[in-house]
Amino acid sequence: MTELAQLADARRALEPERTITALARAFELWRAPGSPWRERLAREHRVYSPAMIERGVTSALAGWTADTLANLRARELPEVFAAPRVTAVWLAGSIPPSAFSAIALPLLAGSAVYAKTPAADPVSARLFAESLRSVDPAVGAAVAIGADEKALEECDAVVAQGSDETIAAIRARVRPARPFLGYGHKLSLAAIGPGIDPVSAAQQLAQDVALWDGRGCLSPAWALVSDSPRGRAAELAHALAGALEELDETLPRGELSVAESADLLELRARAAVREGTRLELAAGASTWTVVLESGEVRPPAGTLRFISVVPFTELDGLARFWGPLAPHLSCVGHAGFGGGLARLGTFAVEAGASRLCPLGRMQLPPLDWNHDGQGPLRPLVRRLDVEG
Amino acid sequence: MTRAEIEREVLAWIAEGVDAPADDARFERLALALFRIQHTGNAPYRRLCAAFGVEPERVRSWRQIPSVPAGAFKEARLAIFPPEATLRTFRTSGSSTDARGALHLDTLALYDASLVATFAAFLCPDVERIRFLVLAPSAAEAPDSSLSYMFERAMRELGTPDSRSFVHAEGWDVDILVAELASLEAKVLLAGTAFAFVHLLDALEARRMTLTLPAGTRVMETGGFKGRARELTRDELHGGIAQRLGVPRARIVNQYGMCELGSQFYEASLRTGVASDCKVVPPWVRTRVLDPATLFDVAPGDTGVLVHYDLANTGSVLAVMTSDLGLAVDGGFRVLGRLRGAEARGCSLAADALLDASGAMR
Repeated sequence: MTELAQLADARRALEPERTITALARAFELWRAPGSPWRERLAREHRVYSPAMIERGVTSALAGWTADTLANLRARELPEVFAAPRVTAVWLAGSIPPSAFSAIALPLLAGSAVYAKTPAADPVSARLFAESLRSVDPAVGAAVAIGADEKALEECDAVVAQGSDETIAAIRARVRPARPFLGYGHKLSLAAIGPGIDPVSAAQQLAQDVALWDGRGCLSPAWALVSDSPRGRAAELAHALAGALEELDETLPRGELSVAESADLLELRARAAVREGTRLELAAGASTWTVVLESGEVRPPAGTLRFISVVPFTELDGLARFWGPLAPHLSCVGHAGFGGGLARLGTFAVEAGASRLCPLGRMQLPPLDWNHDGQGPLRPLVRRLDVEG
Repeated sequence: MTRAEIEREVLAWIAEGVDAPADDARFERLALALFRIQHTGNAPYRRLCAAFGVEPERVRSWRQIPSVPAGAFKEARLAIFPPEATLRTFRTSGSSTDARGALHLDTLALYDASLVATFAAFLCPDVERIRFLVLAPSAAEAPDSSLSYMFERAMRELGTPDSRSFVHAEGWDVDILVAELASLEAKVLLAGTAFAFVHLLDALEARRMTLTLPAGTRVMETGGFKGRARELTRDELHGGIAQRLGVPRARIVNQYGMCELGSQFYEASLRTGVASDCKVVPPWVRTRVLDPATLFDVAPGDTGVLVHYDLANTGSVLAVMTSDLGLAVDGGFRVLGRLRGAEARGCSLAADALLDASGAMR
């Protein structure tokens, strides 16, 4: 592939300081008030409402600064290392900041990027690459968007997102001994302890449920809520319904595909027929669904602003709930655990989680987070152990 | 109307056969009566209607009857009779850890009548009996499989005494089947799951064998692949069957059915002599293509979710929403494939499947 040769050549521009500056300036362009890049993305993205793009991109990129990039590089990379000349980045899903970081991280490590965009979002990666070229054409030239699967075999490293099946299929095409970072099936949940007012917790949880319309593996699939005293989970579920209804005004849901609408309808029907559940639905067609479960059952995982509130009475109940999800658990959003947070963290990491974050921030991972427990840069590069 | 009265009328309609008039007034009357009985007698269905804001007294047309997505059959016992009255339970396929949908039956009269009427009309329009060679386990070996039950029932009504199944709990007799097929002298009905046919085609290819089955032979394939074989498109599968078994494509019929329904749908190729992928809807069933966001019919020519209203489903719910994308065509519908809603969800795709695979907590 001649494109890869050109990328390998363009990689020469990826000196650390220059790359950090270019990336930081590009991120700044995206989060600036009235950003034309955000406006373009809002116009061209077919999945999310313009308000969602506005809020989602601005909030996600808030901490993506030159300092963060420099610290991340210093933390992850030794003085002597070899970065891949070109990394193939196979994107999935539809969440723009996820595409931005997947492209930015190999660049930060000193590798050019050949990125394949997902069917659901052919726009985000392309616009991010454009924005990078606008701030530094030489650094921008180290990113190409394409769909040639030969890149999986010819690139020096591969980063892939998607279903477990997709990851397995891609992994099979990567040559042995070449770095491969696969981000497969994951799901997340919210855990709300007794130490927070249910209405406040509901407000924070609503942000996590609504942002990116409940898509993506960091969106809470369930909310486990301490039901002590009894009735607290119901109070939270009701408040959550109110908060989601309010967000429907300020953060409207995007259009769903036929299949997504059918998925949502099925989730609602399953909840409705299940004994002991209580559904909170707005009058008429609501864009959200809150289901109050009757006990420590594990209902189908929520998505698309559908969330089940599952009451629990003791911390062990949480472990019972999420233990079998390992190794697919990604993030646990928490609130109200006070001194019990360390124990919650132990449960979470034992269940495979790689991120424990405050409620309301589940969909806003920092740029330097250890996605699925893997360092953001470290696994991409070859290190050298020098022995005396 | 009582349930018994409805069942008598539906049985009479089925007895008129698949060419009976699809009388809308007759369907309306029976469907509305059945809906009221099912709403009264089925608490989970009542909950679903309430959640979706449907008041039964306001339901004036069969089109207003709330449909139940097939996935809901995994969550609750959708039946209007007590568990002790259950005569047979058919379950959706899945591993032992999957939540499986179930259709509970307290009578097989309508199920059998619909099954035999459609099977006979679409697979045996030219014969009273034919030898069945079945690529699926027997009902004794797979007692909760509606497919095995269907094959066995159809074989009893329409098969010759030397009909048999070639698939068993411990595997299948591929060598015996291939030898049997190679030595056939009279027409047969070769019926089975799509993935069993893929295995048969692979077995023939491995043996470098191409057969020409006797004239008059017909093939019926059904079901998806469910990870049990390499997946083929309909065209590839039917092309492979035509090429390796020497059965003309107009004699290869796909059956579309689901565990949650009492009736099945067939292509009319054997009746018309022309290969067709259009599924014919029998008179006692209605099929709609809906937009799941609005629950309105899609515009003519548009694709949507297939929803079936089956009067043979007297003991559960008559309106079932599938997970299949379809298109309404003259005289029936086309199935365009399974709905895939996860493209925009990236790595959170199939979270429900993960849950099933990781073991149910309940």
